[in-house]
Parts: sequence; structure tokens; C-alpha cells
Amino acid sequence: MTKKQHNTINPVIIVTFGVVFIAIALVLFVFPPSAESNKLSADPGSWGQLVVAFITGITTGGLSCLAVQGGLLASTLAHQIEQDYVVQAASSKQKARVRANSAFPIFLFLVAKVVAYTMLGALLGWLGSYLTLSPMTRAVFMITIGVFMIGNALRMFNLHPIFRYFSIETPKFITRYIRHTAKGTDTATPLFLGMLTVFIPCGVTQAMMATALGTGSIEMGAALMFSFTLGTSPVFFIVAYLTTELGSRLEKFFMRFVAALVLILGFVTLDGGLNVLGSPFSFQNLSRNWFPSYSTSPSAAEISQPLAADGDGVLVLNVEDNGYFPSSLNAPADKALVLNLITDQTYSCARDFVIPALDFYELLPDTGTVQVNIPAQEKGSTLFFTCSMGMYTGQIVFE
Amino acid sequence: MIKKTFKISNMTCSNCVMKLESLEDDLVGVKEIKASYHRSEMVIEFDEFKLTDQQIITEVKKKGYQVVEVKEM
Repeated sequence: MTKKQHNTINPVIIVTFGVVFIAIALVLFVFPPSAESNKLSADPGSWGQLVVAFITGITTGGLSCLAVQGGLLASTLAHQIEQDYVVQAASSKQKARVRANSAFPIFLFLVAKVVAYTMLGALLGWLGSYLTLSPMTRAVFMITIGVFMIGNALRMFNLHPIFRYFSIETPKFITRYIRHTAKGTDTATPLFLGMLTVFIPCGVTQAMMATALGTGSIEMGAALMFSFTLGTSPVFFIVAYLTTELGSRLEKFFMRFVAALVLILGFVTLDGGLNVLGSPFSFQNLSRNWFPSYSTSPSAAEISQPLAADGDGVLVLNVEDNGYFPSSLNAPADKALVLNLITDQTYSCARDFVIPALDFYELLPDTGTVQVNIPAQEKGSTLFFTCSMGMYTGQIVFE
Repeated sequence: MIKKTFKISNMTCSNCVMKLESLEDDLVGVKEIKASYHRSEMVIEFDEFKLTDQQIITEVKKKGYQVVEVKEM
């Protein structure tokens, strides 16, 4: 009742891949990314993001990806080992090589996977740099990504069948090709299959890809996917020696943990989006008002020195690597003001200063002062400000 | 050739689609299998003289999945 098929890598597909990569290179040449989009800054937030990506990979991503892509690796290995045993039978002196050979395809598979996902991360970051032209676009983008991540987490919790639509299904012709290629026995097969895993990302990988897209930077996107995929590699490598059955059991065991992590990441992303949108309903803005002691706030009377003869006041905000100080300012209502933004060797994304309600967005110098004119605001109103990532926030309350 | 829809109860991710569609290579008499994680089903076009529903259900079970309903299209 069973069929037998022996397929090796089709040269046409290799040429197709080559054409795709050349096309990407040409697109990058024609539409070069902006200088800001290809810098991996010394921002501690960026490095923190890379560490989180690596930890996510090594803890949950590895198991989740193994469940999805492990079958390919196992299939390749089975054929490789089968071939090795044939070689071994032909020459008993090669016994020692059999063990080494079974590790080699795993290594090739993982190297190809890391390279492919790093390239994908760069591509996503580049795409993101075009999609994040304005803080508003970025906000909408972050909210969409957040909803996607939350939907994926709820899918993993198996809350309702509707959440299955948050998982992207790979086109049948690709899965069919991957399936058939996995039956090849040449050395290039695991290498090629590793590259093909970009077409069958697991839920956690999809979430990480969305984050890479949201970075809006080629280097950051590449670094993020590199960190994550590198993190998944040890689990892949170790468990690949065992059966994929063990992988699926572990995956089942950790699925809720993975879902919880993705859910948290989803809410953090959504919250960032709401911050960039200037929404008073973001977790940070709500919690600041629920717990006023959270920030130090000078009173309206402390606002000093009229800037001009007409009595405009000056507000001072220190922009530091870890946020805005004070994060809550009080100001007199019905009076135009000047907000002085002071940076002193500030390198984090806090420099990307946004006041959504005023449609103000400026990349501040790492050291210096930038003045922002604040028109008169009604009594009781609040102006929210944030960094362009929605990570650091603050507010001006008009009394 | 006939076409039938097999509702699967325990598909958990898109990888299940690939696993179920691999039956296309394993079973004699199958023309095409289209599985969907979104709809939690697989549509199989097969030669009813070479393959029975029960054989398909057994093979699906071997892959780790449970068929809960079979509908002719």
C-alpha cells in the first residue's frame, strides 16, 4: 500500500532561489534603506531585545520550532544514516565515521537555518523601515503585530477555533516540495532543508518575525532573527539525536508556557503601539495615574522663568537612556509653553521623541537641548509623550 | 475518483498539514490531499476501488490524528 519516491534537489529550484536573492539585492540597490534604518545602535534597549530573543529561542522557540521543523531534520537524518550504514557495511573500517556523519547533517541544517533566518530578518527589517515612516504608522503597525501575537498565543492555548486563522499556512506547493526534498540523500539536502525552514516558521518564530519587521532596521532585524535562531539551535541539535516524538512531547508539555510568553510579548507590543498613538489607555499611562508615586512631579508653581515677555513658561524634561525624568509634569492650563528636552550622552530610543497629539516627532541630538512649542491646553487635559518605540513614556498634566 | 472531507479533531499547528499531506506519498490510490489547519480537515481525492475510508482513517491515526467525521463532496 505504500509508494516509494526518491527525490533530490531540483537545480531549477536552486536557480530560482538564486534569482530571488539577486532580486532582493537589486531591490535594496534601487530602494536603499535610510541611514537610520541600518544602524545597530548602542541602545541598551536594542541589546536587551537581542538577549530576550536569544533566551526565547533557547527556552521556548527551540521546542516549538522543533515540533514544526524537526520532522524535516529527522527525515534527512534517517536517509543520511541509512546511507552511512551502507557505506559502513562496505567497509567496516569506517565505523567511527558513522557517528560523526550523523552529526554533520544536523550541523549543516542548523547553519543553513541560522543564515536563512538572519537574511529573512534583514529583509523584514528593511521592509519595516519603509513601513515606519511616521509614528502613527509605527503605532498602527505595533498594534497589528501585538494583536497578531496575542491571537497566536490564544491559538496555542486552544481557546477557540477562530484563533487558528492567526497561524499562517504555507502554500501546498512549498510543503510538497519540502516533503519530497527531505527524502534526498546528498550532502546538500540538509543544507537546503535548513534554508527551506523559513517557509514553515512555528508560532514563536512568526511572532519574532513580526518583531523583526517592527524594528524598521536591517541590522536590528537581522541581529534579532540571528539571536533567536541561534538560541533555538542547541535544543534542535540535542533533541535531533533523540526521536522527533520526544520533541513533540516536550513541545506539548511546554506549549502553555510558550503561549503565555507570546501572550506577554503581544501585550507589551500592543501597549507600545498605544503609547505611540498617545492613548491614555495604555498600561503605562493608566498605571502612572493609578500610582502617582511612580514618578516625581514638580507642581505647576515650580514651573519657572518666563521665556518671553508675554509670560510663556518653560518646562524642562531630562531625556536619559532609561526614560524621561520627571515622567509626569504639571503645567498651567490655557497658556502656551516651551518644553526643553535635555539630552546628555543619551543613546537609547528615548531620543526618538514623540508627542502624538501635537504630531511632533524629532530625533534629538545625543547631547544638547531641543525646544518644543506647546500650544495652550485646556484645564484638566493631558499631553502624552513617548519614544518612537513606545517603551519610555511620560505626560504633561495641565492644571 | 471520489473526493471526501475528513474532519480531524487534534490538529495543533500548520505542521500537522504537512504530516497529513504526506499520506499523498504513502497511500496507493490517492490523487491529492489538501489539508487545512484553519478548518481542521483534509480533503482527499482518491480511487475508491483501491482505498477505503477505513484505511485512510487508520493511516491518519498512525500519524497521530483522530478523524471525527467523513463527508462526501
